[in-house]
Amino acid sequence: MMSVITNMLQGGLGNLFAYLAAHVLLCLLPAFCIAGAMTALIPKETVTRFLGRNAPGVVSYPAATLAGSLLAVCSCTIVPLFAGIYKKGAGIGPAITFLFFAPAANILALVYTGGVIGVDLAFARFFLSLAFGIGIGLIMALLFRSEDAAHDKATDAMFAGQSAAGMHPAALAFLLVWVALLLAGTLKLGFLTGSYHQLSVPISGAAEFQALLDRLVPYDAGKGEEGLSVHGVMLILLLAAVGLTSWLGIERIHEGFNRWTWIAMGLTGLTLLVAALNIQADALGLGLGFTGKFFGVLATLLALGWLARKRLTEDELRDWLWESWHFVKQIFPLLIVGVFLVGIMRVLIRPEWIESLAGANTLLGNLAGVAFGVFMYFPTLVEVPIAKMFLGLGMHRGPLLAYLMADPELSLQSILILSAIIGRLKTWTYVGWVALFSTLAGLTYGTWVDGASLGLIALFLGAFLAALALVLWLVSRHAAHEPSLQKTGF
Amino acid sequence: MLTIKILGPGCANCKRLEEIARKAATNMGVEAEFIKVTAYNDILAYNILSTPGLVINEKVVSSGRIPAPSSVSVWIADALKAA
Repeated sequence: MMSVITNMLQGGLGNLFAYLAAHVLLCLLPAFCIAGAMTALIPKETVTRFLGRNAPGVVSYPAATLAGSLLAVCSCTIVPLFAGIYKKGAGIGPAITFLFFAPAANILALVYTGGVIGVDLAFARFFLSLAFGIGIGLIMALLFRSEDAAHDKATDAMFAGQSAAGMHPAALAFLLVWVALLLAGTLKLGFLTGSYHQLSVPISGAAEFQALLDRLVPYDAGKGEEGLSVHGVMLILLLAAVGLTSWLGIERIHEGFNRWTWIAMGLTGLTLLVAALNIQADALGLGLGFTGKFFGVLATLLALGWLARKRLTEDELRDWLWESWHFVKQIFPLLIVGVFLVGIMRVLIRPEWIESLAGANTLLGNLAGVAFGVFMYFPTLVEVPIAKMFLGLGMHRGPLLAYLMADPELSLQSILILSAIIGRLKTWTYVGWVALFSTLAGLTYGTWVDGASLGLIALFLGAFLAALALVLWLVSRHAAHEPSLQKTGF
Repeated sequence: MLTIKILGPGCANCKRLEEIARKAATNMGVEAEFIKVTAYNDILAYNILSTPGLVINEKVVSSGRIPAPSSVSVWIADALKAA
């Protein structure tokens, strides 16, 4: 009994440390800064202005997906924003597209999925969310078109009155340089990952320390475990220092910048630089490899420092720091707890269970993925380490995508809030479509992974969409007999 | 006597905004009634898209961000002049 608990705790802690050392830095740290910059520096009116009912469908639906990926980062932000744009007169279609797209394919979720699980799954998540988000939006607009017209009369053209304040060029540059830093740090290209200069720092005991770490955090690549290196330990310590100084420097930033604010920013830069180095412990001490990544991160950090000091106003800088810190405070603790629990679950769940349920790309496997996504509520982004655990335990990539599509979209909690805003009938219709489309997404992607030709998949999808269009056409013909029908935005 | 409304469902940003606004009013020695508006329908009536929002004497002065204490003081002074 005792050994089972020790095993679980060791699994949880091991997973947490390996995760902090491997994934957080070059992908999550810039992602938090980008999300903060988007919230603080992009005027929301600029993006959502195109969602109004007067905008034609070819503008409003893509605008809804763009707004989703730019503005919202977690479901707790999305539902209020959804309520806002819907009540202000956006059609139900674009509003639903926004609601669907934002949690699944915002920049934080995509970057994170790409970094932890693989770029292929991140792309699949993006394109399928795009197609299905717009599809579900169009379907909802068609199904509820008479009610939508009534809603139209109740709200006036509030979107038209919004000022179109553009984005200040330096703020845009600041945002783009952060994206460049993220790409330089995470893309796995030869010229970025290769080392250009080697340096050996003689520290005695480095190799022994590494051997100790290997004993404490045993790793097994076959089970998806990662282990912990000396480099990782350095990064975890730096990360803790960043957290502490940010607490001192940013928590009360509205009262003015203090010494800790600048120290926190400096330490964040240093952490990113250390993360970009290639550090190996060997018999001589620590070998430092100056990679292409390192020089990329260094150049972008210098550009960011110059922009922040010389070009951004103090208000912009403060808003950016506050919003980034706010995201970190809101999401990071949940991620830590989530990853720890995933480590414990990994010890408990038998690979055979996953194999038999969702080891192959079957309809049942995909449905199981969706059902798990709906009934288990995980906070934003925690779905990604969970998905990684399933992958390590033998889940097929198809059902895995079905799970990744359904989990951020649907949870019992968001279903309840949603039904308060748009009514029970619309909510459950939405839930039904999301479940159907997520299953379909998993099946399609799984078939592709299994090696089916793209032509066959296109045929299969085309047949399904044709059948869907036929049903919807019949519904709309039925609706056309009702006198209340009115031509809506699309 | 000013009426200062904080629009927002009670998130961390709204609490921070209220704190800043209260402090600004106290520092200026202005008497103000603070009202927290938390219902979505009431918030949307002010035609703002994102919270937190700050309303002084029924005029929206800021939304979607936490303003600097110095800006809040300026808005309070403006509202006093207009009143």
